[in-house]
Order: sequence, then C-alpha cells, then structure tokens
Amino acid sequence: MAKNPPFSLISTSKIIQMNDVWTSYDSKSYALEGVNLSIDRGTNYAIVGQSGSGKSTLLKLMNGMMIPSKGIIKIDYLTPNMNNKKFKKMMHTIGYIPQSLGLVKNISVLDNILIGALPRLNKIQSILKQFPENEIQEAKSILKLVGLSGKESRKAYMLSGGEKRRVAIARALMQKPTILLADEIVSELDHVTSREIMDLILDAQKKMNLTAIMVHHDMQLALEYANRVAVIKEGQKILEIGVEGDKIVDFQTGDMSIEQIMEMHNTDTKK
Amino acid sequence: MEANPLDFAEGIPNLGIIISEIFVAESIIEDLKYVPTALWAMLETLQMAFIGTVIGVVIGLPLSMLSARNLNSKFVYAPTRALLAIIRTFPSILWALLFVIMVGLGPYAGVLAIVMYTIGFVTKLQYESIETIDSDPMDAVSSIGVSKFQLIRYVVLPESASHLLGQILYMFDYNVRQTSILGIVGAGGIGFFIINYIKFFEYGKAAIFMLIVLITVLAIDWVSVKIRDKYIIKSQHGMEIKPKKSIFS
Repeated sequence: MAKNPPFSLISTSKIIQMNDVWTSYDSKSYALEGVNLSIDRGTNYAIVGQSGSGKSTLLKLMNGMMIPSKGIIKIDYLTPNMNNKKFKKMMHTIGYIPQSLGLVKNISVLDNILIGALPRLNKIQSILKQFPENEIQEAKSILKLVGLSGKESRKAYMLSGGEKRRVAIARALMQKPTILLADEIVSELDHVTSREIMDLILDAQKKMNLTAIMVHHDMQLALEYANRVAVIKEGQKILEIGVEGDKIVDFQTGDMSIEQIMEMHNTDTKK
Repeated sequence: MEANPLDFAEGIPNLGIIISEIFVAESIIEDLKYVPTALWAMLETLQMAFIGTVIGVVIGLPLSMLSARNLNSKFVYAPTRALLAIIRTFPSILWALLFVIMVGLGPYAGVLAIVMYTIGFVTKLQYESIETIDSDPMDAVSSIGVSKFQLIRYVVLPESASHLLGQILYMFDYNVRQTSILGIVGAGGIGFFIINYIKFFEYGKAAIFMLIVLITVLAIDWVSVKIRDKYIIKSQHGMEIKPKKSIFS
C-alpha cells in the first residue's frame, strides 16, 4: 500500500481528506481497508468499482452518515461528528443522492425539492410547513434548471426514472451545497438519459462552483465527466488517475492511455 | 371444561321459542314504535365511537412515533411499548367497567373506554406501519441534518398517511361494534337498551334494537370500503383506480 504524506503536509485546498480509513459493518470483516484519498475543492471526482467494492460506503463517510472504525477523515477540515454543532451545520450543505434517490413518494415534486431548504426554516415555519416566498422561488428556479417546469405539483411516485433523478438532484441543489455526493445516479438509465443527467450535474457544478463526488459503475462514463477517477476494489483504492480532456494525467499509475486504463478496469471486473 | 354436544342440541328449541316470541304479529307492530328510540340510541353510540376514535388517534399518534424502532433509541421505544401493551391487555368492556366506577354510569365512561382501547390498538398498527416505511428517504433526508421533528413531519407522516387513514377507518368501524355492547356495563349507547330488554324477556324490542345495530354496522362497512377504494388503495399503490364500468353500460 502506498504511504500517503502525514496530515499536516496535505494541502489546505482539499475539501475531503481521508487517511488510512477502515470501516466495518459487522466488526468481522472490513468494507474499506486503509483508504487514502484527498479531493480538491471544485473537482468533479468519480469513484469507480464493482458491486460490493466499498464505493457506496466511501460516499457515506463523506457526509458523516458513517463513522470509520479506524483512520482520520476531514470534511472541509472538520471531523464528522453528529454531536458537533459546526459539523451538523456543514451537513446542511452536503447534498447526498443515494442510489435509491430517497424521494418521499407521496408528496409533490416541489415539496420534495423544498426538503433541501428545511435546515433554513425555524420551528414555527417547520410545524406550519410555511416556506418563505424566496425559498419557493428558489425551488422553482431550480426546477426550471433541472428541466421539470410545470411538473411541480405532480406526486413523486408518478415520475419516470429520469425525472425522479432530476428531482433528487434539485433537492440536493436546494441545499445550496458545497459538496454534491451521488451514488450511481445514472445506473439503470438509457444512454441518452444518463448523458442528460450527467450534463445537468456538470452544468450545476460549474454554476454553483461545488465539488461533485460521484460513484459510478461505468468507467467510460467516469472518464468522460470526471477530472479525477479513483478505482476501488475489495475495499482498497487500487488506482487513481487524473483526466484532462482526452489525456490521462499521471497520478499514481505512471503514463497510461485511456485504452490501457479501460483494459485494466475490464480485466479487473472480469476477475 | 365440560362441553356436551347434547346440551347444545337440547338448547336449540329455546332459540325457537325466542324467535316465535319475536315474530308475534301484534307485538311486532307494538315493537316497531321503538324504532325512533333505537335510532336515537344508535346515534348516541355512533357519537361515542366517533369521539372516542378521534381522541384516541390524537393521543395515539405521538405515542406511535415514540414507539417506532426506526425513529427512537431503545430507552424511548421500550417503555412506551410496555405501557401500550398494558393498555391493550384490557378489553374495552373492562375499561368501561373501570370508568363507570370512576365517572359514573353513562356515555362519558363509554367514550373514555373507547379512547383507551383506540390508543392501545391504533398505536400498535401505526408504529408497525412506520417501521415498514422505506428507509431510503429517511436516510437521505437525515443526511441533510434536519431535526427529528422535521423528519417526522416531512417524511414519516406523508409516507405513512395512507396507512393511517385506513387504520382510523378500521378503528371507527370496530369501535361502533364495541360501543354497541358497552351499555351492558352501563357505559351508555344502544347496548344499555338491548341488555335491559333481554333481562326482562322482551325479545321483540331487543331484536328491533339489534337490527338497527346490524344495519348501521353494514352501512359503515360499505362506506369504509368505498373510501378505501377511492383514496387509500390509490395512494398505497401509486396509481389511479378507475371506477368499474357497470355491466349494463
């Protein structure tokens, strides 16, 4: 395992830093085994790996929903801890889209999006479900951004797969996020729709200057959209590459072409 | 326990005697004069069941939130569940007896009994349905860092609302039947009349009152099936239910 530099030497422009992180669900085996990771602010970062490799776990560590068994994590220089008021405040600005999207199916599209604004509501507004006018306008403009204008009153269960993903993205954007985490958001979608969704996220990322960290199954898609790609296998980071246009920039792997990387990923998957 | 089938067979003629007493032509006409009284008594029964169900649900709903394992720690849900289990141990007629002793004869004691019974059961039904809610929206919304109250208000309640409506209907339906017999211990309602007529061997009058109960219960059953079809099934399955076309159209 490559030894990463000690924490004090890691650059301050990093929004996520993980040092020798181990996690376990059942205390018998580890889902992640000594992962080192650092993500620059404003990057479009992709995590690729097979099912069960630990990539979703990695994402849950980044919003504080999971705590590592061993190792250090810093999210914008804060250690995740639900009891820490500062971190709890930070959670308000971490948009997390789980693989299942996590929409409330019996409420409208607009209400689902407004959930992203809940941390900004006071107690009385929460009880009465009274969102300030500016929040409703903001939700409507995000609705327009994700291409769902005119569908605000439709119940979430009535939407198609692509539309549901747009609502989930809109809810995350409503949080005014600094970090956007998305778990296999385009899996199960057709080629055209998945590109549309990815373009949408890329567009929002540039406009809002946020850091997008996305888990993918598809290496090709990751290389197409991300600035940097980490490959996870059996709980370990086996590869990390930088992508600039068509060029793969040497990071941990030496000089490799896209074809070689793809070949390597494919052989890996077959194994 | 002794149970001799012969005793049952020997008792059948007694039933015949009761039925023959009910269907004496002159007494039927005489008994029909009691229909308005029976209707008033039934109305009182319905009011008791309705008020008892509403108050029971209002108190039971927060308790069901405290009893759900996916919303609370063991230290909160375990004692709440224990309390509810104790409440459920008593059938409504025992609660009625207890409240008759406390507040005296009449519908007030009956309403209190229905409230207790509703709390015990609606809470159990509701916390079980809360526990079956998909955990994904709860996890996704929790990850934003919202408060427990916001999570309940914006995720748990909308996701369990369709179950809740069904449970309230079921509870009301059930409570009407229960309230009909609470009069036996003096807790008001139509049961008070029925038990007294039976005591004085006035089976004809008792039959009129029981018939009113039967018709009311069937009517409520029919209405709740209609409400269920129109509102509940649709929201639970996420689809529109088209009204069935008449076979004559």
